[in-house]
Amino acid sequence: MYSKDMMNLLKEIMAVDFVLYELGLFLDTHPNERRALEDHNNFAKKSHQLKTAYEEKYGPLHINSISGFPYQYINDPWPWEIQYLGRESDVVL
Amino acid sequence: MWYYEKKLQYPANVSRTDLGMAKFLYAQYGGPDSELSAAVRYLTQRYTMPIPQAKAVLTDIGTEELAHWEIIGTLIYKLTDGATPEQMRRAGVGNYYAQHDKALYPADAAGVPWTAAYIQSTGDPIADLHEDMAAEQKARTAYEHLINLTDDPCVIAALSFLREREVVHFQRFGETLMLVREYLDKKHVY
Amino acid sequence: MSVPEDIGKEKGLFAAYKLAEAYIPIQIYGETFDPKAALIHGTLFPELYRPYPVRPKV
Ligand SMILES: [Fe+2]
Repeated sequence: MYSKDMMNLLKEIMAVDFVLYELGLFLDTHPNERRALEDHNNFAKKSHQLKTAYEEKYGPLHINSISGFPYQYINDPWPWEIQYLGRESDVVL
Repeated sequence: MWYYEKKLQYPANVSRTDLGMAKFLYAQYGGPDSELSAAVRYLTQRYTMPIPQAKAVLTDIGTEELAHWEIIGTLIYKLTDGATPEQMRRAGVGNYYAQHDKALYPADAAGVPWTAAYIQSTGDPIADLHEDMAAEQKARTAYEHLINLTDDPCVIAALSFLREREVVHFQRFGETLMLVREYLDKKHVY
Repeated sequence: MSVPEDIGKEKGLFAAYKLAEAYIPIQIYGETFDPKAALIHGTLFPELYRPYPVRPKV
């Protein structure tokens, strides 16, 4: 169903996208903070790279992503169904 | 507009089935200070915000609250996964099963359905931002109550994440309040 | 009635503040957590990290 590699890549995307969102919220109230904007743009590039790699291997994350045949966006597991690997150890990702 | 991204903001796990905890988590799924209230409150108030920073903050925090609503939904789904009607009855949630089986429903921990009466939208950005800051504090304390009700380390980790987000949101709304007041002060001078 | 000497200092500190208004300091961009640590802490910013002490359960 899903492999350890898929899980690790997905968690890496989660971590990078979280930083990107934090920087976005910070910039919402600090639009003139150049260093935060540079970090934001670097993480945006990183996020794009990771998602491209993920989607090539494991299928679309978005309704508007390119998909193989048959349409793969609908495939299980959906986010709430995933057992993010490791139980207690997963607390520390 | 919005697009769904097929991932959670935080990898929410549970260690075991816990029907009682699932019931308590409804406080944040459909209660007064729930993630649903937060999302609808901010995404509704944003239209009458006077400056770009405020429109952005309400849009982006409102959107993040939808992702938090999904995390709470995931925790409830996982905590009830595999439970039988008999187990639900014994855990004191037979009334929930009677009406909803194990489907999620936007109600609070006592079963009261979610209502727009939980939020306000006054058209006064100062008043609305004070409501938003208060809402973040109420959600923060709700997460502390929920953390006190469980010993599942996975659930505690997810709730601690959500609680910390309320602290960050409070800071951003506070900064927005300062910016909006500065803007209104200048406007009244000229 | 004598006025404490440091009241002037306090006035200086709060000179820019008006009564009946709420204030919050504007955050300054400084150190940040790396991505995994940020996700674990729930924030990118160490100065905004306010952990809740988890009580041992009976
Ligand atoms: Fe929030």
